[in-house]
Amino acid sequence: MKRMLCGWIVGLTMVAGAATAPAQAPGGEEIMRRSHLAMYYPGEDMRARITMRLVSRDGGERVREMTMTRRTVKAGGEQRYFIFFHRPPDVRDLAFLVWKYPGRDDDRWLYVPALKLVRRIAASDKHTSFVGSDFSYEDVSGREPEDDAHKLLRDDTVVGRDAWVVESVPRESGSADFSRKLSWIDKATGLPLKEEYYDRRGDQVRVFTAEELKEVQGFWTVTRRVMKNVQSGHRSEAVLADVRYNQKLSPDLFSERALRAPPVELTR
Amino acid sequence: MKRGLFVLVSFFAVARVSAAAELPIHGFLQAASAYRLTRPAACPRPQRLACAEDFVLGEGRARLELSPRGDRWSLMTKGELTWDAVGGEVDGELREGYLDLKFPALDVRAGRQVITWGVGDLVFITDVFPRDWVAFISGLPLEYLKKGSDAVSATGHWAGTSLQVVLIPRFEADTLPAAGGRLAFHDPMAAIERRRTDDPSPALERTEAGLRLFGNIGGWDASLYAYRGFFHSPAGEPEPGPRLRLFFPPLSVYGASVQGAALGGVVSVEAGYYDSRSDRSGGNPAVENSSGRLLAGYQRELVPDLTASGQYSVQVMQDHDAYMSARGPGMAKRAEARHVLTLRLTQLLLHQTLRLGLFALASPNEGDWYAGPEARYQITDAFSATLGVNAFGGPRRTEYGQFEGNSNVYAVARYAF
Repeated sequence: MKRMLCGWIVGLTMVAGAATAPAQAPGGEEIMRRSHLAMYYPGEDMRARITMRLVSRDGGERVREMTMTRRTVKAGGEQRYFIFFHRPPDVRDLAFLVWKYPGRDDDRWLYVPALKLVRRIAASDKHTSFVGSDFSYEDVSGREPEDDAHKLLRDDTVVGRDAWVVESVPRESGSADFSRKLSWIDKATGLPLKEEYYDRRGDQVRVFTAEELKEVQGFWTVTRRVMKNVQSGHRSEAVLADVRYNQKLSPDLFSERALRAPPVELTR
Repeated sequence: MKRGLFVLVSFFAVARVSAAAELPIHGFLQAASAYRLTRPAACPRPQRLACAEDFVLGEGRARLELSPRGDRWSLMTKGELTWDAVGGEVDGELREGYLDLKFPALDVRAGRQVITWGVGDLVFITDVFPRDWVAFISGLPLEYLKKGSDAVSATGHWAGTSLQVVLIPRFEADTLPAAGGRLAFHDPMAAIERRRTDDPSPALERTEAGLRLFGNIGGWDASLYAYRGFFHSPAGEPEPGPRLRLFFPPLSVYGASVQGAALGGVVSVEAGYYDSRSDRSGGNPAVENSSGRLLAGYQRELVPDLTASGQYSVQVMQDHDAYMSARGPGMAKRAEARHVLTLRLTQLLLHQTLRLGLFALASPNEGDWYAGPEARYQITDAFSATLGVNAFGGPRRTEYGQFEGNSNVYAVARYAF
């Protein structure tokens, strides 16, 4: 159980700010840098109620529900996440705290309510599945754009939206769970509309799709996203509800004190 | 039985009130059983049940949890009703029941609560709070190792530093294998069957007190601890009669711990000094000597969903010479230092719904060991099934070796809501 929870990390920040489309197409590096900010850094802070469905090939379904809060310490850099789990019952009332640093391992803490125990979690591998879903830790808290080389391939449209298609290749092989990634970046919002992940043999492994975009307090947000493992047929769908930005969340929320006694508005 | 009925009635009463107030009710139904893998070699008369009973555990359990929350307060109640199929008894218990009050820089918790200190994994130094070793040995889920304390705890927070003060007016001892129970254990005084237990009385001067000062220093979680109270496992002293008097000798503990990210994983260090206040010279064979204790641990995720951790700990007796000259015949002959190594491996499979785990502990110099492989499958979000083994071994007078005859295979099924 303890280790199972290790998988349950950081917050799904499928969130975005409005990036202004320039007259001339920027390069692949610039597109991905902006997309990273649009997806993971909108607002000073945000909170959302996230329902995640894990669906197997034969239709078996499991549901994880959590309240996630995020506070940005430095735009494009350090962030803090606090996640409170509502269900399933075996993780109810469990709380997760993450201090994310660019360029080095996160600090992660887990609070196990049955034991009244706050425990550090080893955070060395960012490719571990988040709560057993098809999203990895890195998918939900963001892979740093500098870790990959990006090349703008072409223009395309995704469900009627104009997009740039960018190819990303890890600068260090082994630093990612893909050897090549194709991203369809929405020209209007900077958000990824679709991503395809390929393994070393060039086979497609996972496909990400943004299925619903909403503007919340001026920030474009992916409120429904799906990650599908095309090889296993397993897929995970995350829906964000009750999204709020710039709530002036106190830095105290991201501390051991809050792990042990979360603010009531996060626990309901 | 009466208590069981009372709890059952309370369950329904609470359920009605809860439904009326639209409070969420949670809990679980659980069936657990553990079958002895080996027979105890021999059982003295008071332990004959341990030799006669194949099942060390066979029970059904129902838990109801109610936790209303307000902006500045919250209440937690966890009640349990247990039907012991082996002994044929029904019992009720309030596992936790406390009120939390939140002030701007102060959190207060009053009532029955679980208190956990320290950074060890099944190796405890500064965590002196009561434990249920019978539950652990019998294969119940790990949460049953911790018992609640009837306590008041207040934690103040200033500028990134916190101070917790704990007062426990009612002493709660560890639950250990005892004469008449289903578990076999080493009893140097087995010949004396008449026994009485002196509980530390609830007088004011006997209130247990704990202090914990903690904060984050340069990315490390650091804590200082102090505790004044009693050993939670009893000492035994023969009296005329003959009769064995069991009592809980005074104990103070001073300690420190740090935990942080380093070397590609998590590093933990904890140290403590046990001051056995009634036997500072170490000359009383019944009372545990003062000792120094140290623990170092490292945890790392080897590949996604596979985590390994290891610990080394040592406990050094302060007055080993005095202990050796004072110990009576039949009592364990303990080394000056007890070294312990532990290993934990956890592999998650099938989208983290199947967990294969192994915890192993061994003392290289005293020769005792424990191994606990376990598989837990979350069949649905509500149903889980666990199968595992508790295996003990080593010389019969050692900490874990004495439980060899209790080695068991256990199964737990739980429906949670």
